[in-house]
Amino acid sequence: MDLIYSLIAVIGTLVVSFIVSLFLPGIERKFIHARIQQRVGPPITSPGIMAPIKFFFKQTITPESPMPRLYNALPLISLIIIVILLLFLIPQMYFLGALASIIAIIGLLKVEEIMYMFMGSLSRSVLSVRMPFPDRAKGAAHPETPRSFFEDLSSLRAFRLIAFGSFPIYIALFVSVAMAGSIYLSDIIAYQQIHGPILFTVAGALGAIVFFIGYMILLNEYPFSILKGKPDVVEGPYLEYAAKYRAYVYMTRGFLMFTLATLFATLFLGIAPNILNPSFIITLIVALIFPMLMAVMSAFSPIFTYKQFYPTVAAVSIVGVLAIVAAFL
Amino acid sequence: MDDKKENRTVIEAEVPMGTVHPAALEPYRLRLFVEDEIVRDAEMTVGVNHRGVERIMEGLPVEKANSLTEKICGICSNIHIWNSCRVAETALGIELPERAMYIRVIMGELERLHSHLLYLAHGCEVLGHETFSMRLFYIRETVMDLLGMIGGNRVQYGSAVLGGVRPRCELDQMRIQKITEGMDLIEEKLTAFADRFVSDPMVMSRITGVGVTSAEDALRLACSGPTLRATGVKSDLRTGMFEYDPFEFDVITQEDGDVKSQLLMRVFENFEAVKIIRQAIRDLPDGPITNRSWEMKDVPITKSYIEAPRGTLYHSYALEDGRVRNSVIRTPSMANIGAMQYSAIGHHITDAQLCIVQCDPCFTCTDRAIQIIKI
Amino acid sequence: MSLKSYSRGRAVHVMLVYTGGCNGCDIEIVNCILSPKFDAEQYKVFLTWNPREADVLVVTGPVTKHNEQPLREIYKAIPEPKAVVAAGACALMGGVYKNCYGDIPSEEIAGPVDKIIPVDAKVPGCAVRPQDVVAGLVSALPLLLDAD
Repeated sequence: MDLIYSLIAVIGTLVVSFIVSLFLPGIERKFIHARIQQRVGPPITSPGIMAPIKFFFKQTITPESPMPRLYNALPLISLIIIVILLLFLIPQMYFLGALASIIAIIGLLKVEEIMYMFMGSLSRSVLSVRMPFPDRAKGAAHPETPRSFFEDLSSLRAFRLIAFGSFPIYIALFVSVAMAGSIYLSDIIAYQQIHGPILFTVAGALGAIVFFIGYMILLNEYPFSILKGKPDVVEGPYLEYAAKYRAYVYMTRGFLMFTLATLFATLFLGIAPNILNPSFIITLIVALIFPMLMAVMSAFSPIFTYKQFYPTVAAVSIVGVLAIVAAFL
Repeated sequence: MDDKKENRTVIEAEVPMGTVHPAALEPYRLRLFVEDEIVRDAEMTVGVNHRGVERIMEGLPVEKANSLTEKICGICSNIHIWNSCRVAETALGIELPERAMYIRVIMGELERLHSHLLYLAHGCEVLGHETFSMRLFYIRETVMDLLGMIGGNRVQYGSAVLGGVRPRCELDQMRIQKITEGMDLIEEKLTAFADRFVSDPMVMSRITGVGVTSAEDALRLACSGPTLRATGVKSDLRTGMFEYDPFEFDVITQEDGDVKSQLLMRVFENFEAVKIIRQAIRDLPDGPITNRSWEMKDVPITKSYIEAPRGTLYHSYALEDGRVRNSVIRTPSMANIGAMQYSAIGHHITDAQLCIVQCDPCFTCTDRAIQIIKI
Repeated sequence: MSLKSYSRGRAVHVMLVYTGGCNGCDIEIVNCILSPKFDAEQYKVFLTWNPREADVLVVTGPVTKHNEQPLREIYKAIPEPKAVVAAGACALMGGVYKNCYGDIPSEEIAGPVDKIIPVDAKVPGCAVRPQDVVAGLVSALPLLLDAD
């Protein structure tokens, strides 16, 4: 009996999460961006649900890439990693021990970031070097320089982001570890059942701000979207995805938005995603509020170059360290 | 540029940005030579848009050739046809009625408004700021409606003819009322936008100190128009044009020569344009708007310089038997674009794209057959 | 109405290609998609700059020599089903540049768009009006909805 309830909880949570995450891009586009930009905006289902379905019905082409099959498999791997991340957050899976701990979550997020780098180095789009143009004519400057694709540039930027862009979210994750005194999710949730949500303490409030900035960096959303900014690299690593693989890219993004917000609810509010528990409503509400706040901030920002990126990450990391120190006091 | 600089810089890779690119409103080719994402050299290729307009003009009757020059560019179309008519009028000695001169100035300044607003919207889009870009497009719609009302078409309105202005562009009471309301609306919205823009620290940090051109460099590279005035040099052809004599306006300059100066330059010029249009509406003299009593004769090559929204525009042609011979058109973007290559050096690639766009390039205007004369 | 044609009608991705020309049509089309007054997104038409993501290709300008190969490459890169909309007098018949150096295709201009890639919808005007561009896009949709 217990086993059946556990199965229903796990599978039901995954399915409901997936369905809600399909609506998130549409809500972001219609209710936030369009309101701010004083226009009507698309229907809610269009960017998140109808677009991936439409992409499933397009012709599958072979992408221009040195390893097309690996390139095509990467979005699916990305999606599976996020599903596993959500799986480890569900309480019925805490019997896995060390796999349901902060270390595992950090590891999975790191793999997620490395995906961008792989995608970038494997893509060769027609929009960059392959555009036919008589560049190396007589009198051209520097004719023997090796030419680099936009996606290689994106890959380099992804590498830099892995190096310093993930500080905020990791420091924010450790705020909850510092308060609860253990890296296991079950202990963190138990601590919050006794002492109340971490969000309502000084350390928790600071940690929430740091988490939010880290959330935006991980999703490559507008001030921090140098990886796939329109003015120079067009779309970056995703340039050669077409048809159903692009549908996976779309779905991965919505699902990642949902999963990271659920992570916040688990670590800072003590509410694990569990469809059999009425507090799942709060998880859903947090999962709706986070993308909306992110959309408001991204509608009002330009793209940051390294000149603004480094100081922002440094300042946010310092706030994060202060939060950890406050947690020990 | 300098041989010394060439020996010391290392170029690792070339990033070509092609004819089709989201930041490019027209097709052009930009090759950036980078070292670890910092631009060390840049090369722009124009000439993708060459359509041979001067060649088509050869041998056409004058009226037809004038209305053809309008199709050179869709953004600064009025200034081409105005200047082309001006060449023939100067050569043949045609006397313009005063009302026609005022209406031409009004159309010219309305076009300056719409061109500068488009530049600001495009600049914001290259910065990555979609919201500001959309707000500016919305403000620009007022100007487009006014242009459509006077000229008949939102783009390429063809208001100037030889001897004055087309009869359709006559301004009656209702149109004058609409123009006045439009100007008030634009002034109010643009002031609100400018305040919001300047007080935003994220945007300001992106554009301050980026793409600096010094005044000496700008003069040496033959920049003109707002690009030159943003570096601190006070030079505006409108102070010398006879059509602008009855009007009172300031010549705006900014000091730094970076992207912030270029953007603010256009915002202030918009306010000046609103001022000029208001003066023109207030003092509009009565009388005819076209002078059809002139005679055609053969004239040698005559030149005309005019202040376009981007700088100094030059037209010249000769008339033989009522037909145009040897026409030469030289647009300001030709020199401005070349100067921007140098301003992009030393910046990050994302900033380099901003540096190229800061001079308000109009590649479709620029693609003519060029002969470089060393002086 | 099957799921296939329903979903294709609810999310249309449009890509713009400028191939020479005076730029008037380009500004009007950008106006039509990025300006809050016309806002094509409310009609479920999204703007994209990646041929791999696009369904409809909107081409403006008479195709000049340097732009002919890029246009062909981009057309090849779009996955089926696709539709092409040629907007503006230059894209339809060469506009005012029709008789330069003789009839087009000539040394400078490779011809109107339908000599290079097949065209499904034609939008006239010089420059096109934003309302007409939206109408042209919508008229090209039935070709996409039921194609396999």
